[in-house]
Amino acid sequence: MQADFWSICKSHCWILAAAGCCLSATRAYCQDEELLRKWGKTYEEKVLPILQSKCYSCHSGEKIEGELDLTKFPDATSAIAAADAWERLAKRVRLNEMPPQGSPGLSDPEKGTLHRWVDSRPGADLCNQIASEETQAWYQGAVMSRRLTRFEFRRAIEDLTGYLLPEDQTPPSDGAGGIGFDTVGDALFTSPIHIEAYLDAAEKSAEHFARELYRSNADPRKDSTVPAEQYAFAKDTIKSFAKRAWRRPIEPIQLERLERFLSFDETHGSQPNSQEESITRIGQEQGLSLAIQAILASPNFLFVVEEPSTDSHGPSEKERGGVQRLSQHQFATRFALLIWSSIPDDELLDLADQGRLMEPEVIRDQLQRMLADPRALALGENFGLQWLGLTDLIRQQPDAEVFPEFNKDRLRDFQEEVVRTVSGVFREARPLTELLVSDRILVNRSLAAHYGLNEQALAAPEFQNADHWGWLPTVQTHRGGIITSAAVLTRTSYPRRSSPVLRGRWILEEILGAKVPPPPPGVPALEDVPSEPGSELTLKERLSRHRTDAQCASCHDRMDPLGFGLENFNAIGQWRSEEFGKPIDAQGVLPSGDTFSGAEGLKEVLLKRRDEFEKHAIRKLVGFAFGRDLNKFDQCVQDRALQRLRSENRADVILEEILLSYPFQHRYYPGK
Amino acid sequence: MHNPNSRTVTSHLGSQSAGQSRRTFLRSTGLLGTGLAGSGLSLALPFLESLCNESRASGASNTKSKPPVRTAFIYFPNGVWENDWVPQEEGKGYALSPSLSPIEPLRDSVTVLSGLDKKNSHGGDGHYAKTANFLTGMPVVKTTGRDVSSGGISIDQFFAQNWRGQTPLSSLELGTEPVISGIDSNVGYTRLYGSHISWQSAQRPVAKEINPRVVYERLFGKKNSTGEGQGGKRALLLDYIMEDAKDVRRRLGRDDQFKMDEFLDSVRAVEERIEYAAAHPDRDESFRPDSEVAQSLPKGVPSDFRDHIRLMLDLMVLAFQSDSTRVCSLMFANDVSGRNFSFIDGVKGGHHELSHHENNAEKIAQYQKINRWHVEQFANFLTKLRSIQEGDSNLLDNSMIVFGSSMSDGNRHDPDNLPILLGGKGGGSIQSGQHIRLQGEVPLCNLYLTLLNRVGITTDSFGDSNGQIESL
Repeated sequence: MQADFWSICKSHCWILAAAGCCLSATRAYCQDEELLRKWGKTYEEKVLPILQSKCYSCHSGEKIEGELDLTKFPDATSAIAAADAWERLAKRVRLNEMPPQGSPGLSDPEKGTLHRWVDSRPGADLCNQIASEETQAWYQGAVMSRRLTRFEFRRAIEDLTGYLLPEDQTPPSDGAGGIGFDTVGDALFTSPIHIEAYLDAAEKSAEHFARELYRSNADPRKDSTVPAEQYAFAKDTIKSFAKRAWRRPIEPIQLERLERFLSFDETHGSQPNSQEESITRIGQEQGLSLAIQAILASPNFLFVVEEPSTDSHGPSEKERGGVQRLSQHQFATRFALLIWSSIPDDELLDLADQGRLMEPEVIRDQLQRMLADPRALALGENFGLQWLGLTDLIRQQPDAEVFPEFNKDRLRDFQEEVVRTVSGVFREARPLTELLVSDRILVNRSLAAHYGLNEQALAAPEFQNADHWGWLPTVQTHRGGIITSAAVLTRTSYPRRSSPVLRGRWILEEILGAKVPPPPPGVPALEDVPSEPGSELTLKERLSRHRTDAQCASCHDRMDPLGFGLENFNAIGQWRSEEFGKPIDAQGVLPSGDTFSGAEGLKEVLLKRRDEFEKHAIRKLVGFAFGRDLNKFDQCVQDRALQRLRSENRADVILEEILLSYPFQHRYYPGK
Repeated sequence: MHNPNSRTVTSHLGSQSAGQSRRTFLRSTGLLGTGLAGSGLSLALPFLESLCNESRASGASNTKSKPPVRTAFIYFPNGVWENDWVPQEEGKGYALSPSLSPIEPLRDSVTVLSGLDKKNSHGGDGHYAKTANFLTGMPVVKTTGRDVSSGGISIDQFFAQNWRGQTPLSSLELGTEPVISGIDSNVGYTRLYGSHISWQSAQRPVAKEINPRVVYERLFGKKNSTGEGQGGKRALLLDYIMEDAKDVRRRLGRDDQFKMDEFLDSVRAVEERIEYAAAHPDRDESFRPDSEVAQSLPKGVPSDFRDHIRLMLDLMVLAFQSDSTRVCSLMFANDVSGRNFSFIDGVKGGHHELSHHENNAEKIAQYQKINRWHVEQFANFLTKLRSIQEGDSNLLDNSMIVFGSSMSDGNRHDPDNLPILLGGKGGGSIQSGQHIRLQGEVPLCNLYLTLLNRVGITTDSFGDSNGQIESL
């Protein structure tokens, strides 16, 4: 049957090709069939002999064990038609249940052959699975109950208490894992200095919160002369605060423990022994502040706690582990962390309480509501800056001798442009390609001056306000998109000069998702030194030597020309038409033979490769959202997102597909 | 309910008076306010022998004991230009090389080691597989996040664990730059490897503090050191967190529990500090440096790198002098740091960029100047340690300060013939003042093993060591 498909497909394709109209869809289909045919061939050549020698003794003939008759699969065609039999078989083998004790057993290479073959089945439905010890050989772990990142912690504290932690009260910085984001639990560690920072931050923000509350809250109970009413006010406050901070309803016993802080007495230094004593010794603002500190320093706040459910499956299921759908409240937290890099607000928690948050329509509505909220700028500041490698831009050090007028504070403006531009495509449902090419740019007054757009900017009255950010048309500015943003151009420069190599490499890696291996060991790097005034060769002429050696050329042919296209921008991203008295040559010749000139030409080239760009951006966003490395089960959500991005051409559909996807809504718990 | 067995949070409130009187005494003897030349930090106290005795009070012997040995591990990135680093001659009478000339006034207290090797860094990538194991010597797992491992505990943490409980802080981990973000997808390493030399265990890097003011507060701020002055609030909160963390841990799945263990261990470390204060009630106030010190610190991270390094080194001096800790690590910068060193005369450009000198004489000259600047900072640090008297000796005599990089030539990235200097005499256990050239792939861990044994931590091996350096 399958083989027939193949022959039909082949002839079909041949006819179409002959007619000169072999559609890409058909071609993809034919490729799938070709893969399936290969898969069947592997079965006959490598897998079948193993089954025959090790499994047939039980799974063939008259007395068939486990209702599995392997002789039903004598060839490729029958193996392909066998549907999910192989997945089940592989699962038993992985769990060491098969072959059973006392039978011939499979050697490691044999197991490897079997698993590789099963795992490589083309076109298998992976959309409704996640990686686990059962579905994947050499299981590599799942997302874990990680702590909040530094960025998320700061945001969450601000949302909860209204207190924005100053830089020096924020916990230490985080590293990254997975495909390059700090949301990966594997790469988040907790040291004693974290605990100290958490305690300090909790104290500062809780004091701020309690002070504001007692000053401005209208609840008459807080000023009541009846201690019991004061107490009830404080208790209600910590109950709702804890729910918000811990992102779920608070159990009575937890509330009881927190209540003890309410009546903490500085002079006595101990906790009360009875309810009556609590009420008479009510600490009001101070006691409340302490209870809030406890809520904020608790791992229930600091960690994204995703405990296995025990109600629906019972404790035995928990012991064994397995794949579970997230609880409504766990989902709310993942949702808010993705869009806001912060904790859920009351509306999300209410929907979770009602058990409605995971309905697709509700997810879509909430996504739009959350994108409209200013907190969604975090998509640019957290995801965007990490993706583009710009998190440490403000540590960049343009050389004061070369750029005497450059003020380092401007780096914050550079960063802000990217933050607003990247979050903007999601928040305003714009095409993702606007990050490559755009007919407008987002600037404030100082950035407009940096870009030489003074007159235009000053023409608009709102730019008189130095804090105002607004759009300007890019006509004749060579700008638009992030590649020609000052942030990227500065990031990909050395302190004293631009670097076409770094820029080309940046485009390949961060925009097109290509890999650029480091120079092979032992090969001396070619001279990549700045041309000083009076020297014979321009930088470009020097770099041309990269391509005289085949070993260098294989990579530099890809990198350098892309970077040449940006040579009209200096090391702080300002336009220049000449360097050292020679006109800038911004021509690039790509390995394909395509030539282009300048930033506009480069962007056209990149627009032609939008497919690579979109795939890469989607992959990055999925990796950020899932907080782990990606595996074959995550391909489905990427494919769907790409499909919708192509048909609808708005970036927010990627987020929607992520939120609706199986891996985002499920978690795997390894068995105990 | 507050666990009555855990500790009494108010029991040591009465200790303040003892501290005050000691402080008054010191002021009257003129010991307070001893300035550190050019540091901007003025130091309150020289090491006091009596306190030294006290901190070892558990020992049976009541005889006059020696000051404790302190140890620090200072890392700088991007290697050195070997030709100007390694001295030509060996032994006591060697002539200092151009890059090492700043240690001239201290040469009797410094040991130059060459020929040390880190064989577990020969594979892997140019940088990451060398930095993370600078102090572990073991193989670094190639990963973008899963199963991060430096191969083993780092030597500073090993010292800290052995000396745990003898000082308020078991160790201090310092740096100047935030953790490098992202992964290097080309070589398949997470970049966090380039930001950590201190590893509590193979799987757990220890976060470093980069803000001098926060370090100062950690050392001398009351909150962290005693948990009182707050009526025991902090201790109470720690109890609460501990209980919560245990509860959360119970509810979590297998994989997730590791992360909660890490959290619990860190809470415990903060608690231990408070317990230490309770057990040594009279030390806190008396060890506080002048308040001017705090005022001289900028609010955030200093914008000038030179100030930043100087403050961090001064804080290390303070930490050792006050016996707040006996173990420090400091990363001058993360690996692959592209810091602009144009502040040095004759240098134009970034550190990493210049370390790839491509045998270009002009670049080498600049690279060498950067190397030499690093040695100058080391020499300044040692000079300050030496200026602090401890009984018949000084703080430098009682220290072992390892200073080096995890590769030799920055252009080649070789992890052999590492540039390593050792400052101090380890309380008289080290034959300083010589250049020791080691032959035949001698593991860097042999140095670490030697240091351990010299200060009485008797052990047969550390990391990939295969022996001790007898001539040290």
